[in-house]
Amino acid sequence: MTFLIRTVDHTATGREIVRDREVEGSTLTIGRATTNDVVIADLAVEQHHVSAEVDERGRIALEAGSTRDFTFDGRKTTSVRFDPAKGGRLTLGLSTLAFAREPDGRTLVTVTQEEREFGNRDAVRRFDLASAMPSKRAAAWISVLAILIAFVAVPIWTNLARTDKQPGADGIDQVAWDASWSTGRLSLAHHALENNCEACHVAPFVSVRDDTCLACHQDIGDHAAQNRLAAARGPMSTGDALLWQVADVFGKEGPEACTTCHTEHEGAGRMEPAAQQFCSSCHESMDARLADTALGNAHDFGTDHPQLQALVHVELGSEDLTRVTLDGEAREDHGLRFPHAMHLSSTNGVARMAGNLPDYGEKLVCADCHRPTDDRNGFLPVAMESDCESCHSLVYDKVGTTYRTLRHGDVAQMRADLIAMDRAPRSPITRGLRRPGEFKRGGRYFQDFGRPTQNYIGIVRALSEGGVCGECHIPTGAGGEASVMPVFQRNHYFLNARFDHAPHAQEDCTSCHAADTSDSARDLLLPTLTTCRECHQGAAAREADVPSTCAMCHSYHPPSFRRREEGPQSVAPARVAGLARSGMGSE
Amino acid sequence: MASLSSRDDGETLAEIEERHAADHQSFLAHRAFFWAKMAVFIALFVIVTYLLIDVEPRHNGGSWYGYALGTLGAGLIVWLSWLGIRKRRPTPGSWSLKGWTSAHVYLGLSLTVIGTMHTGFQLGWNVHTLAWVLMMLVIISGVYGIAVYAALPQRLSENRREMTREQMIESLAAIDKQLKSAAQPLSREDTDMVVAALEQDVLGTGVVARFRGPDRHDATRSALDHISTSRAYDDDASDLAQQRVRSLLGKRAGQIDQIRRQMRTKALLEIWLYFHVPLTIALLAALIAHVVSVFYYW
Repeated sequence: MTFLIRTVDHTATGREIVRDREVEGSTLTIGRATTNDVVIADLAVEQHHVSAEVDERGRIALEAGSTRDFTFDGRKTTSVRFDPAKGGRLTLGLSTLAFAREPDGRTLVTVTQEEREFGNRDAVRRFDLASAMPSKRAAAWISVLAILIAFVAVPIWTNLARTDKQPGADGIDQVAWDASWSTGRLSLAHHALENNCEACHVAPFVSVRDDTCLACHQDIGDHAAQNRLAAARGPMSTGDALLWQVADVFGKEGPEACTTCHTEHEGAGRMEPAAQQFCSSCHESMDARLADTALGNAHDFGTDHPQLQALVHVELGSEDLTRVTLDGEAREDHGLRFPHAMHLSSTNGVARMAGNLPDYGEKLVCADCHRPTDDRNGFLPVAMESDCESCHSLVYDKVGTTYRTLRHGDVAQMRADLIAMDRAPRSPITRGLRRPGEFKRGGRYFQDFGRPTQNYIGIVRALSEGGVCGECHIPTGAGGEASVMPVFQRNHYFLNARFDHAPHAQEDCTSCHAADTSDSARDLLLPTLTTCRECHQGAAAREADVPSTCAMCHSYHPPSFRRREEGPQSVAPARVAGLARSGMGSE
Repeated sequence: MASLSSRDDGETLAEIEERHAADHQSFLAHRAFFWAKMAVFIALFVIVTYLLIDVEPRHNGGSWYGYALGTLGAGLIVWLSWLGIRKRRPTPGSWSLKGWTSAHVYLGLSLTVIGTMHTGFQLGWNVHTLAWVLMMLVIISGVYGIAVYAALPQRLSENRREMTREQMIESLAAIDKQLKSAAQPLSREDTDMVVAALEQDVLGTGVVARFRGPDRHDATRSALDHISTSRAYDDDASDLAQQRVRSLLGKRAGQIDQIRRQMRTKALLEIWLYFHVPLTIALLAALIAHVVSVFYYW
């Protein structure tokens, strides 16, 4: 038996080198070991991997030399028998041994080896990171598409495609994914509109219009007529004019637009009031441009603000209100006699009386007579019944164990009560006669038929300077009959500003109201500008206790429905400050 | 002709010297740091005006000053992105590619100030902040790029030890070829270890593996450990073969380490562009979204 071993190798250029040799014998050993008949220098191959043996019938039996199998005709096995005339392929590692029968009876074994390339030039490129990274181009395209779809296409498409384009504060969010467009949270007042962008941003590429704001804010009054505003402002600076020209090109409404002052998306919280400069740019020297203005110039509360003025009754008994300057000398005449100093003394009869009464302390204090409104913003008008009468008694009679009291506030009623008082001493109509039994004086059926002279004297006395009425009221004979002058109490004094007591609660009353040194009820006990400035200075005064902008007391927008000629109620600042304003109290 | 060239030589010697110096001058130092100075000036100017200009109630991209900074910033971003196209056309002169790159780097850095002041520090979960974040990421990746360009090429050439990359691969292939024949007498178990080492794809590693670099316990080192562990090497044929394989495996591990070091350094050097470029394109998209949304809901 002879095996013809044909080895096919390749040169570096790919040319085939075929070598033939013969192996005598019926057995052929194949493996990595150099002692084999066919040496396969492949580390994947066993030292003695397979042996091939030709039997008497010319068939070849392949047997694995160990437990390690081999591949024959594509199937893994450890033992196979085949007819070389029909061919057979033994695969070991990268080598293939093809068996065939030569015409001369020899068994041809063709050994070929698969080439494996190392170190080719393409490998150099694999040093670069590019061989391991995803393409930059793909990453760029994906992110561009994602961003443009999510942040441009979807909001714009849903904005244009919605059916009902009416602005409205209610209803669902019609525009999808536009939350990503919001530059910041809305102020608390507009919180309900947070997801309803289209409520304010009505038309694409059109800035928020005043009409949109005024759709809800109907009560906003004009600060002044447009021509007066323009006159007061004066010509713009070159820079401002240029900026507004640019803004105009981009379709902004102009300096008077709501959004010029009221910027939104500045974060949740209160909408910030306008800055001091906003007011002072006109009011600093407004009299020069608006000659007929009644307002004094102001640009900083701490350094440049006119004296405070109060709206009071200066003429006794008159309903008319007059503005007086609070320069420390201001007087009013509300019609009451009430020396504050006497009532607040700690040593006089008032203090003694207070000490003797169960509801008062060692002396009277302000709160004994002045009761705050429910919102602590101001004070209720002083009422005789609740605030004065525990000392200033109007008792005129005693029946049994109880007292009869004059009704306060009605002179005619007082007169009637006193005339009808039947227990005042009267001259008897008869002398020397006494009625008997229960009809006598002091008896149950006694009736005094004497002239009620004392009753009338009592009325006159009560209404006189030192009488029970005249003690607090100013008697008058006007109208032909003795009476007292009417009283006018005010619970607010400012025409163009507001004052709130609540934030001042930690102060003593007398630190602003010099009541403890006031001997006359005509003293207008309102603080002067100087007093206010002890704590309040201009917005820029960082060292002050309370740096104060104009908006702390003043409102730019007078509410159109409350503003009247005499203008007692300037509630607008209360709105600006977010505080409720009392409607209580009366003139 | 001769006189012309000789005159040229005489006259331009200093110029040539200067040009050569300029050729070796980094783009960072281009024109005596002209763009660095310009960028510092711009940044300081923006910071000072930001502090001086009183925007009520607070600084905001929607104030006139905010719009001004936004316009400047958007223009800069577009111009800076243009480098990606501009770099393909090298030209000389003061608008040379080097000058352009110098301006790109320094003006890009000044964009951190311009862009951030434009935000007025009002950041949130919205498309506007997305644009700012992308801008900052692009700039940060760019800063990283400059830093590695300054430090790593040195390391790259130190690691090469005068070898080209082809030579490294060929050296590995040569070792492998020797290893293959040297391992022929080895036992099955040992051979398997060697085969596993030879089958290792040194170059075809993933991104993470590239950054891990050399000195990893891979198939080559396993084979090395296996063949060297507690073996007595005698003078018989089998042991000599093992010794030879062992020394070849050692060489192979060393060569792999060099290749891996090279690959890691290259990865460190190249990775920033995989962020810088796609993020720039994303930034341009976000910038469009930012500007469109601001004016759409004006």
